[in-house]
Amino acid sequence: MAYNGAAGSGQGDEVGEAIVLRSVTKSFGTKVAVRDLDLVVPQGALYGFIGPNGAGKTTTIRLILSILFPDRGEVSVLGRRSALEAKDRIGYLPEERGLYRKMRVGPFLAYVARLKGCKGSDVPGRVRRWLERVGLGEVEQKRCEDLSKGMQQKVQFLAAVIHEPDLLVLDEPFSGLDPVNMRLLRDLVFEQHRRGATVLFSTHGMALAEQICEHVVMIHDGRKVLDDRLDAIRRRYDARTIRVEPLDPRADAGTLRALPGVKEVVRDGSGYELALEDALEPARAIREIAAALPVARVELTRPSLEDIFIEIVTGTGSAAEAERARLRQALGRGPGEQEAVAP
Amino acid sequence: MSKVFHVAKREFLATVLTKGFLLGLLMPPLLGAVMLLVFPALLGHKPPAVRGEVAVLDPTGELVAELAKFLAPEAIAKRHDRELREGLERAPAGMRKLTEGVLERPEAQKALEQAMGEVPQLSIVALDSGADLEREKARLRESPGQDVPEARRRLALIVVHPNAVERDAEGRYGAYDLYVRAKLDDRVEAEIRSGMREAIVERRIARAGLDRELIEALTTLPRVRERVVTAQGEQAFASEFNIFVPMGFLLLLLMAVMTGGQSLLTTTVEEKSNRVVEVLLSAVSPMELMTGKILGQMAVGFLILALYGGAGLVGLFSFALLGLVDPSLLVYLLVFFVLTYLVLGALMAAIGAAVNEMREAQSLMTPVMLIVMIPWILWLPITRSPDSLFSVILSLTPAVNGFAMLLRMTSTTPPPLWQVWLSILIGAVTAYGAIWFAAKVFRVGLLMYGKPPNLATLVRWVRMA
Repeated sequence: MAYNGAAGSGQGDEVGEAIVLRSVTKSFGTKVAVRDLDLVVPQGALYGFIGPNGAGKTTTIRLILSILFPDRGEVSVLGRRSALEAKDRIGYLPEERGLYRKMRVGPFLAYVARLKGCKGSDVPGRVRRWLERVGLGEVEQKRCEDLSKGMQQKVQFLAAVIHEPDLLVLDEPFSGLDPVNMRLLRDLVFEQHRRGATVLFSTHGMALAEQICEHVVMIHDGRKVLDDRLDAIRRRYDARTIRVEPLDPRADAGTLRALPGVKEVVRDGSGYELALEDALEPARAIREIAAALPVARVELTRPSLEDIFIEIVTGTGSAAEAERARLRQALGRGPGEQEAVAP
Repeated sequence: MSKVFHVAKREFLATVLTKGFLLGLLMPPLLGAVMLLVFPALLGHKPPAVRGEVAVLDPTGELVAELAKFLAPEAIAKRHDRELREGLERAPAGMRKLTEGVLERPEAQKALEQAMGEVPQLSIVALDSGADLEREKARLRESPGQDVPEARRRLALIVVHPNAVERDAEGRYGAYDLYVRAKLDDRVEAEIRSGMREAIVERRIARAGLDRELIEALTTLPRVRERVVTAQGEQAFASEFNIFVPMGFLLLLLMAVMTGGQSLLTTTVEEKSNRVVEVLLSAVSPMELMTGKILGQMAVGFLILALYGGAGLVGLFSFALLGLVDPSLLVYLLVFFVLTYLVLGALMAAIGAAVNEMREAQSLMTPVMLIVMIPWILWLPITRSPDSLFSVILSLTPAVNGFAMLLRMTSTTPPPLWQVWLSILIGAVTAYGAIWFAAKVFRVGLLMYGKPPNLATLVRWVRMA
C-alpha cells in the first residue's frame, strides 16, 4: 500500500484512513462499554488512546480488530469493511498477552508469522533478523518459559510486528515494563512509525502518552471526550493558569485579585494560583504581576494530560472534587506503569 | 485455509511430540500386557503353598488312602499341568503354535518341579472311630505357631458318612461332613472337596466291580473344534474370540476419540490461561482457530487408530485370525470415529474455551464423561443382544450412536444397512450441531476471564454470539 500522507498528518487531511469508527456502540449485558464512538486514524499517524482503566479502550481496540463486533455503527480498517479482511496487514499486541510456555521462541515466532501470511521460505530468516534486532539472537531455540519476563515481553512485541504490518495496534504496551525495556519498546514503536506504519496504542499512563504520541484520543465511560493533536491540546488548555510565589510570603492576595483580567486567585502552599480570563494574554499578565508586587517566582503552569482529562470529565467546581480524586486514583494504578520514559 | 492448516499442524505436533504422549501411547498396551500376564498368575486357581493337616474320621476305612493319594503334592502339580495343557488346547491355532513343545522342554519340566514346591502340603490324618468330635473340631480354632507348629495345623475335619461308599438300607449313597478352619483358602478347600469326590467315586466304582477307565472313556468326547466357512475358505477359530472383536473396536474408537478430545481440551485451556489466545486471534478468526485445532487433534486420533488398529491387525494376522474382521468394518470405524470425535471434540473445545483453568473444566466435563461411560456400561448388553430395541435405540441416539452402532456391527448379528446409514446421518447432524454450539461458545469464551462458567452461562453465550 502507498503512504500518501506524511507521518503525523493531522485530522481533516484527505490522506487514506487506517481506522474509521462511525457511531460505534458495544454493550455487554446491561453495561455499555463503548458509546456512540467516532474515531478516524489517518494512515501513518501515531495515535495515543488514553483513559482510565475500564474506560472502554480494550473493547474499542477489539472492535477495531473485529475480535468483537459492534452492536451498532460501522468499522472500517485499512480501507476494508472489517479487520478480518486485512488481518495480515495488522499487528496487534493485546493487553492480555502470553506465549506458549513449552514452545521454542523461534518456532513460536515462525508460527505467528505464518499465521500472518508470511511465505514459508522467508519465515526462518525473518525470525532470526528480528530476534537479533532486539538482542535475542541467542534465545531462538530456548523454550518460551525459560525466558526472563523482559525477554518474553520483547518476544510478544515481535509477534505483533514480525510481518511488518501497515497498522500496529498496541493495547497497554508499556504496562509492566521496567524503564530499560520501556525505552527499548518505545524506540521500536517509533521505528515502526518511521517505517510508515500507522500506530495506535492505548495506555492509562497519560504522562507516557504525552511523551510518545502526536495525537491523543481520550475516552471516558465509553465516550470520546477529547480527540486532537497533542500540540493543539496544549495550546487550548495551556497558560490559563499562572503560579506566583511572592517574595514576602505574607503578601496580600488582594493585590493579585485586583489585577485586571484575573478571574480567580487560590492560595496554594507558599504561593497563589491565578486563573486568567480568556482575554488576558499570559505574557501581559506576568508583566503586570511582576509590577504589582515583588515575586520570588512566576510561572505559567502547563496542565498535564491528566489534568486536562480530569477537567474535561469533571468540569470545575468543588462538587466535582470527589470525582476528581476517584479519577486520579484510577489513573495512578501503579507507579511503575505511570512513570514517564526518560527521553 | 492455509491458516487452518498451520493451526492444525502446530496442534498435532505440539500434542504428539511430547513425552507424555509417547507414554500415553505405550500405557494401554503395557497395562493390557500386565493384565494378561501378571494378573492370571497372581489370581491363578493354583492353591497357595499352605501346610497343614486334614483329619478324616472314616467309618468305611477305605477313603483315607485314596484321599492321601489324590492330595499328594505331586498329584496336585500334575493335575495343574494337565489343566494348563487343556486350556491351551482350547486356544486358537496361532496361539497354540507359540506354545507348542514348550511344556516338553527340560526348562519347563524343571519349572514344573519347582512349581511342585508351591502346591499345598497336606498331610492326611486318620482319626480313630472313637475320636471325640468336639475336641477334634476345637483343633480347627487353634492358632498356628502358638498352640501347634505350622505344619501340624489342622485345616479341615472330614466326617465321612457310613453310606458314603456303599448304599444304606434305603438304597441311598451318602457323602461326608466338612468342617474347616476360618479363612481357609477357597482353593485349598476346593482341592479337598475334589479329592474326596475322587476317592469316593473311585471306591464306589471298585465296589460295583466296574472299570473306571472304561467309564471315563465312555463318557468323554474329544474337543470338537468348529470351522467357520467364509468366502475366503474354511477358518478355524474359537467362537469365544467373537466377543473380542466388538471389544477391540470399542476400545479403538474410545481411545482415539478421547486422546484427541482430551488434548483438545488441554491445549485450549493452555492457550487461554497462557494468554496466547488473543495473539492468535489477531491473526486468525475464532472459527479458523477452532477448525484448525479440531482437525489437528483429529489427526492425533487417526494416528492412534493407525497405531493401535495396525497393531491389532498384525496380532490377528499372526494368530491367523484375520478372518474375524471384515475389512468394511474398518471403513465404518473411521466414519464413526470422525463423527463421534467431532461431537466430543467440539464440546471439549467449547469447554476449554469457556474455563480459565483445568480445574474448572471438571464440572462441565460431566456430560462428556457420561457419553464416554455409556459404551463401557452397555457393551455387554449390546453385544449379547444386538438386535434388541434397546440396542437399536442406543445406536440411533446422538453422541453415543457411534459406539453402539460399531458394537452392533461387529457383533454376531449385524444390523440392517439402513440403520447403519441412519446412524451415520444422525451422527453427522449431531456433529454439525455440536460444532455450531462450540463455535459460539468458543468465540465468546476465549476472551472471557473470571468467574468459572456453568452450563447456563454457556447457553447465554450461545444466544449472545
